[in-house]
Amino acid sequence: MRVKSGVLCALSGALFVALCPGEELLVSHSAKGRRDGRLTVALRAEPKTLNPLIAMDLPSRDVIGRMHADLISIHRQTQLTQPALAKSWTVSPDGRRYTLHLRRGLRFSDGHAFDADDVVFTLEAFLDEKTHSPQRDLLIVDGHPLTARKLDAYTVLIELPAPYAAAERIFDGLPMLPRHILEKPFREGKLAEVWRLNTPADGIAGLGPFRLKQYQPGERLVLERNPYYWQEDGSRQRLPYFDELTFLFVGSEDAQVTRFAAGETDILNRVSPRMFPQLAAGQASRGDIVSDAGPSLEYNFLVFNLSPAVKPTWFQQTAFRKAVSMAVDRDSIVRLVYGGRGAPMWGNVSAGNRQWSNSNIPIPVRSLSQARDLLASAGFTWDSGKTLRDRTGKPVEFSIIVASSNTERVQMATIVQYDLKQLGMKVQVASLEFRSLVDRVLNTRQFDAAIMGLGGGDADPNSEMNVWLSSGGMHVWNPGQKQPSTPWEGEIDRLMRAQMSAIRIKERKQQWDRVQQLIAENVPMVFLASPHVVVAARKWVGGFAPAAMADYTLWNVEELFHRDN
Amino acid sequence: MRAGGDSVLIRYLARRALHAVLLLFGVSALSFALVDLAPGDYFTDARLNPRISSETVAGLRGEYGLDRPLPVRYLRWLRSAMAGDLGVSLAYNLPASALLAPRAGNTLLLASSALALAWLAGVPLGWWAATRKWPGRILSFAASAALTIPELLMAVMASIVAVRTGWFPAGGHLALPALVLAAGSMPVVIRHTRAAVLEVVDSPFLVAARAHGISEGRLVFRYVLPAAANPLISLAGLSLGTLLSASLLVEVILGWPGLGPLLLEAVYARDVPVIVGSIVISAVFLMLGSLVADVALYACDPRIRVEA
Repeated sequence: MRVKSGVLCALSGALFVALCPGEELLVSHSAKGRRDGRLTVALRAEPKTLNPLIAMDLPSRDVIGRMHADLISIHRQTQLTQPALAKSWTVSPDGRRYTLHLRRGLRFSDGHAFDADDVVFTLEAFLDEKTHSPQRDLLIVDGHPLTARKLDAYTVLIELPAPYAAAERIFDGLPMLPRHILEKPFREGKLAEVWRLNTPADGIAGLGPFRLKQYQPGERLVLERNPYYWQEDGSRQRLPYFDELTFLFVGSEDAQVTRFAAGETDILNRVSPRMFPQLAAGQASRGDIVSDAGPSLEYNFLVFNLSPAVKPTWFQQTAFRKAVSMAVDRDSIVRLVYGGRGAPMWGNVSAGNRQWSNSNIPIPVRSLSQARDLLASAGFTWDSGKTLRDRTGKPVEFSIIVASSNTERVQMATIVQYDLKQLGMKVQVASLEFRSLVDRVLNTRQFDAAIMGLGGGDADPNSEMNVWLSSGGMHVWNPGQKQPSTPWEGEIDRLMRAQMSAIRIKERKQQWDRVQQLIAENVPMVFLASPHVVVAARKWVGGFAPAAMADYTLWNVEELFHRDN
Repeated sequence: MRAGGDSVLIRYLARRALHAVLLLFGVSALSFALVDLAPGDYFTDARLNPRISSETVAGLRGEYGLDRPLPVRYLRWLRSAMAGDLGVSLAYNLPASALLAPRAGNTLLLASSALALAWLAGVPLGWWAATRKWPGRILSFAASAALTIPELLMAVMASIVAVRTGWFPAGGHLALPALVLAAGSMPVVIRHTRAAVLEVVDSPFLVAARAHGISEGRLVFRYVLPAAANPLISLAGLSLGTLLSASLLVEVILGWPGLGPLLLEAVYARDVPVIVGSIVISAVFLMLGSLVADVALYACDPRIRVEA
């Protein structure tokens, strides 16, 4: 029966290819499997929507990413851009005009043709303020939206209001939408109401490797192969290989590992490094594939509140911050928090960021004596009880807030608390609910210091403009400045804007290296460590190629296959 | 006489319904206000995404009405609740009732399965414990000891057993959470049944019945159990409420798609309509449990009918 349905599928696929002679498929030479089987993956939470325009949560984006495709994508292992729905593109000398050449003859998962009108419509929909798309900001350059114009059925001209380096990267994760389905709700201003979880499967169409089959509230979401997917392997088999992809909703990381061990899921799409020993046991007994894909793009840091109103002013002193950085035992953090599967950090770019990390930033040696010297040179003294006091005799006491839901950061806070005690500082660790922490750091500014984590999105520096520009809402140590409050922040502003519009990659790298150097010298954040990306799969999962960038194991889901088939 | 009894019952039910409406109003207003007291809101999470500007986040807050004063938001929710939607989930962009209904059904299925298991096993065990001296005391002591084990721990242990033995799926199946919940509430049933039967078993009317030569089986079903039923019926009503709250945790650990995982996620995400909707539904379940127990008492015990 199964063989029969496989033959039927192959025949219908062949018939479709024969009927669409102009179809320009992307040939994946790394894919070497056979079409059959099901793959089950756990999601940490239920997706909230299937509408790419309004999706904000990771589970929704994980699912949507498998149902849709983008014009240009970022290869998760090389971290470089590669053609997707656009087979090629050219850039004008001034870097403001991108001409995208689309693959011909492609179809959405409902069989409807894809062309330049869909691209123009998609950009219009994302840019429309009434849609309230969280991705709209990506399409705004220098305060103005980019524009898209159809040159012919398979050619689109994208014009940027200002030169924008690596503009092609913004197309990664920007799914192309079917105009034939969404134009009506868009014109009626109802785009945010479409493609909810209760939408019937045949009401949703995309260009991704899978399409919606079934959704069971609170339990699972099942996708099935998109028969019109635009990639094939070297032997002209249309991808994806798996017939179905099931997402099980498993609420916690521990439960995910448990259900993987019980054989109920086939892939663990990134878990904490502390789970590695447990997974390694499964590797030994069941032959699971357990992989440490190296440092992620995530960086964890201690940040002081450098708002001008904060008293006392210890945190404002660079020597104080440097002394703290010098006292922190990053190796212990990596060993105790990540079980050795993490990378200590001294700068703001993780070693997992292959292209943009500045390897010339000196690695400071942990030294309590040098830290004490620094504090002494800044006027701090120690009393007979070894308590650190400032110039006015006030004891150095402050609190570090940390998200209670993140056990790893709570552990980091405890280690930092112990390290700073060696300098005579009295530090209290306060665990707060995550949203309360964000509210204090970004809104009310009622905190002394916080341990937080960022990163995990794109490797390109442009994705963090909001963090490093002094006017940025996420310039966590002193956000939303009207004018940069220090000369070095002014220099970072200038360099960040310059790299954003620089066309030559070498020039950008030099500018971003300098930004990293300024951050390392002035220590607005004390960088701590980056966890490794730990993933696992059943031994029969072929084509498994985990990456340090999200979506760690599912980025090449169309190339995954069942080895035994 | 019967017609008079019915009208008494109808008046009683009407009074209970009015109380229920007032209670639900109070519960929803209080939970709405308490959730609002916590810093941050659903869109606070987006503030930590470097690719989303503060202006966009502010626009989203405005779009969903989170920038309005609390009373305005509550009244808006109340209007939606009247229409049966229980507000619109901020996360799912769906009426909260559409999200809650299938999950509430699952929670009810789990709780009622556990209730049935606990009572079907607990009542005979309790009766057996009441009629045997030392074995009864030992069973009663064991039940007391079992009461000290929280459902949370039992769920974790059950999950480990499931993985090690492969007897049950580690998550998403009714059997395991139902067994855990039943095991958690059975000791109470055993102890209460034993106490209720012990209270009746030596009463004068039973001694007299025995003296008339009525068989032991008939004695138990015709006289002992009906006489001991009152505290057990009240307990059953309460058990449903207790089971519902315990099931929320067990559902999260054992992956049962009930209200628990949704509520937990909504609390983390500050999805106010889903939080308030879950609380309102749980309150409705509690009130229904207690109402069913009261009606059952009314039907079973002639003294209550006379007092009414």
